[in-house]
Amino acid sequence: MQKSNNINTTTATCPACGMLCDDINVSDPSANTCAKSISFFSQPITESSPTIAGKPVSLDEAVAKAASILKDAQHPIFAGLSTDLSGFRAAFNSAQQVNAPMMHINAESTWRNTKVLQSKGWQTTTLMEVKNRADVILCIGTDVVSHNPRFFERNVWNKEALFTNPQTRNIIYLGGEGLDTSHGVSPNGKQPTVLPCATKALPEITAALRALIQGKTLNTDSITGIAVKDLETVVTQLKEASYAVLIWVAKDFSFAHAELTIENITESVVTLNKESRAMALALGGSDGDTTVNYAHTWLSALAPEEHDLKQYDTVVWINSFSPEKPLPTTDAPIIAIGNSQTQFVTPPAVFIPVATPALDCAGTLFRVDSSIVLPLKQTRESALPTLSTVMNKMDALLT
Amino acid sequence: MITLLKNAKVYDPAHGVDGVKKDIYIRNGHIIAKPSKTEKIHEAMDLSGKVVMAGAIDMHSHIGGGKVNIARMMLPEYQETLKYADPEAHVCGPQCSHNATPSTIVTGMHYIEMGYTAVFEPAVLGINARQAHLEMGDTPMIDKGGYAMLGNDDYFLRLLANKADQKAINDYVAWTLNATQTIGIKVVNPGGINAFKFNQRRLDLDENNKHYAVSPRQILKSLSRAVHDIGVAKPLHVHCNNLGVAGNFQTTLDTMGASDGIPMHLTHIQFHSYGAEGDKKFSSAAAEIAEAINNNKHITADVGQILFGQTVTASGDNMMQHLNAGFANPKKSVIMDIECDAGCGVVPFKYRDENYVNAMQWAIGLEIFLSVEDPWRVFLTTDHPNGAPFTSYPHLIRLLMDKSFRAEAFDKLNLDAQAMSNLKAIEREYSLYEIATMTRAGAAKLIGMDNQGHLGEGAAANITVYTEQSDKEAMFGKPDYVFKDGELVVKHGEVVKVVWGKTHTAKPAYDKSVEKNLKEYFEKYHTIQLDNYKISDDEMAADGRNSVISHTKAAG
Ligand SMILES: [Zn+2]
Ligand SMILES: [Zn+2]
Repeated sequence: MQKSNNINTTTATCPACGMLCDDINVSDPSANTCAKSISFFSQPITESSPTIAGKPVSLDEAVAKAASILKDAQHPIFAGLSTDLSGFRAAFNSAQQVNAPMMHINAESTWRNTKVLQSKGWQTTTLMEVKNRADVILCIGTDVVSHNPRFFERNVWNKEALFTNPQTRNIIYLGGEGLDTSHGVSPNGKQPTVLPCATKALPEITAALRALIQGKTLNTDSITGIAVKDLETVVTQLKEASYAVLIWVAKDFSFAHAELTIENITESVVTLNKESRAMALALGGSDGDTTVNYAHTWLSALAPEEHDLKQYDTVVWINSFSPEKPLPTTDAPIIAIGNSQTQFVTPPAVFIPVATPALDCAGTLFRVDSSIVLPLKQTRESALPTLSTVMNKMDALLT
Repeated sequence: MITLLKNAKVYDPAHGVDGVKKDIYIRNGHIIAKPSKTEKIHEAMDLSGKVVMAGAIDMHSHIGGGKVNIARMMLPEYQETLKYADPEAHVCGPQCSHNATPSTIVTGMHYIEMGYTAVFEPAVLGINARQAHLEMGDTPMIDKGGYAMLGNDDYFLRLLANKADQKAINDYVAWTLNATQTIGIKVVNPGGINAFKFNQRRLDLDENNKHYAVSPRQILKSLSRAVHDIGVAKPLHVHCNNLGVAGNFQTTLDTMGASDGIPMHLTHIQFHSYGAEGDKKFSSAAAEIAEAINNNKHITADVGQILFGQTVTASGDNMMQHLNAGFANPKKSVIMDIECDAGCGVVPFKYRDENYVNAMQWAIGLEIFLSVEDPWRVFLTTDHPNGAPFTSYPHLIRLLMDKSFRAEAFDKLNLDAQAMSNLKAIEREYSLYEIATMTRAGAAKLIGMDNQGHLGEGAAANITVYTEQSDKEAMFGKPDYVFKDGELVVKHGEVVKVVWGKTHTAKPAYDKSVEKNLKEYFEKYHTIQLDNYKISDDEMAADGRNSVISHTKAAG
């Protein structure tokens, strides 16, 4: 049982997206400007019981069953991993005990970025540099706000900045479908430049952008419906910027070989930096993906990879943050450990509800731009065990 | 419960003990005076013929500053060799690439196996301090600590540009140490990381950051004064301007004069001791640098020795790392600007003995080690992983202690480098006492830890026991026993008990009103709240494995 004196806060940090806004009013969640945050902080608490094949059992019985399934497994995997740092640390220890690899629920999109890092590296920046320096912001294939609703509110249209006038920032959207570009309009009405093209055309348009930045000429007037002279204008603006920032969201790049498109962006930045200043920035992120990516890397010396769940005979599915996300499709038994609100079409072999960091317990998360790590506060009373409590109980039975 | 280590041949420079046979008594994790006859000795180990030193202290190694984690992530191929099932397929040595980017777990294990009991991460970005402590918290066996980076952060540069008085600077520096749970202050390429954000590509000691119109010299003067005034033992840790540039020794010499005699520590000085003589316009200025260290008693230095093999360079100095990115091997690198605080640059690199410049770098490092007279003012580092993985230390110790071993290695160097170096003319061989000074007593004194690095009464019982051998690499590579806080944790080179170390910090006093301006600055310009920047003692201890030790003495 958590002590009530832990909860004396009105301001909290929100884990609902990768930006970790730390100015959330938890006394009145509806006062927030972000729908994701409102829905996260207003989710009800259910003291749901652990279950085995859908039938309520005690925590100890559920943990014992989970441990026995894991002991019998030949090739188990720990997946989902929607949790915070201490939850991940505990899960990592358990996975080590049974020799299981680990894969985050966002592995597919994270891996798009990791591939670029491992092939070429990159030159990147963080949100405070954007907020205070960026005079040209190029959003490629994304509106950002579908993932990070307050990106413009907090980092672009801020009242004051150290080295630039926020009101006069030049916002450019290049490609992508169904974008909400309204956030790119400055508070005094300055419109963004929007150069539309289909998502599937992003490989081609980013290759053209990269070529132009490298000083090549294109033997055509138009690419994927965008006039080359408009693209050339963008290139000139990027080169003349005091500090240009090129943004993408890997989740918006759901097409084959997305890493090559990302590489077009990051290598454009590398070329720009030979003469002027520019930086890349990957946004999006949630379910603790950045945290898991980083902690897995320091604990094992390797970044987590993408795996095919069908290759594994037992899945430990951890999902503390996103009860609406379904269990993975697999014939293997699933040990689900996660948010008490989780609904199942078919009940898993074992379900153990655990505390959600930032609601039921404190925690720690990495922000999507990677260098900033923030504490999460407990914001409500809860009797749910933490993921690490459950993992430690299970470890004791696995040895 | 009292443990007795009998008949040890003790090297304890803090007490002037040079290979004297002594008994050591341990109780509750500390070394105690000889107990009275009535007290029971619960355990006694006869260490006849063994060499005993305090646990070693690495005062500069990148074990948790975020940058090495980027390197791990970027360089999965470094770990590939570990997967070979056939032991013949990979003969593991201290300079293997996997040792350049080990996991935190392996880092702690390898350090303790070599008899190291405390390691200091020298480049903690304030904004990234929480990550640094999380990584170090996951590093078993050893104590940890960090130096917070200042001098490229916009808050400090604004203070300096606005001619804030020294008290305001002092308060900010002291506040930073408290908020980030660090024990020292480092400045990397003073003003240069910041200037790079304004598209400046180089910054000399007396050249202005073009936005703030302040020079590196002003930054050094202000920060070294602050560290001194607030009573922090560890002198300002300085990574000079012009890292790695031919002819940069002049900047280094001039830097020594920038603090008006206030103590400064010049880090990985090998990378800052280059002349521009000869056909290749790259030469050794080790003699000039060593002489200057010998003459300037306020200066200390660690070497940042390079050793040949595949490694990765990871530095806060993104201005210079951006220039070096073209030399990346394999061909990839990461350059970051970070949160109006600093930056970083991670560039993989392979040092080759047949390469002229690399061979010179190797010789320059050794020349500095052997030409600085006072082992209390020079420290044994490879700037892990920048010059070589820390696992190379036993090899490096042998190079320092064994002139013929050194000569053999020298004869394999690039011939032009052999012709340009006078290393072979240097006869000096380090003694065990000098090695113990450099890696124990001196490091503890420099950082300001009274209870570390020695074997006197009251010291933490961190003790390393070696078998004396003529092959010093073998001797230092595999101690017989290592005690951590009184517990036997390593036996014959193998960890027998897993423990989790503590975090050493300094918590100087400051005027609490400093937070008024900081809060305003955070609210306007930062992306997080001031309270979330600060790391509390409770947070450090939250996982139940870490705890904070403050080495602050009454305000001086
Ligand atoms: Zn190896
Ligand atoms: Zn270093």
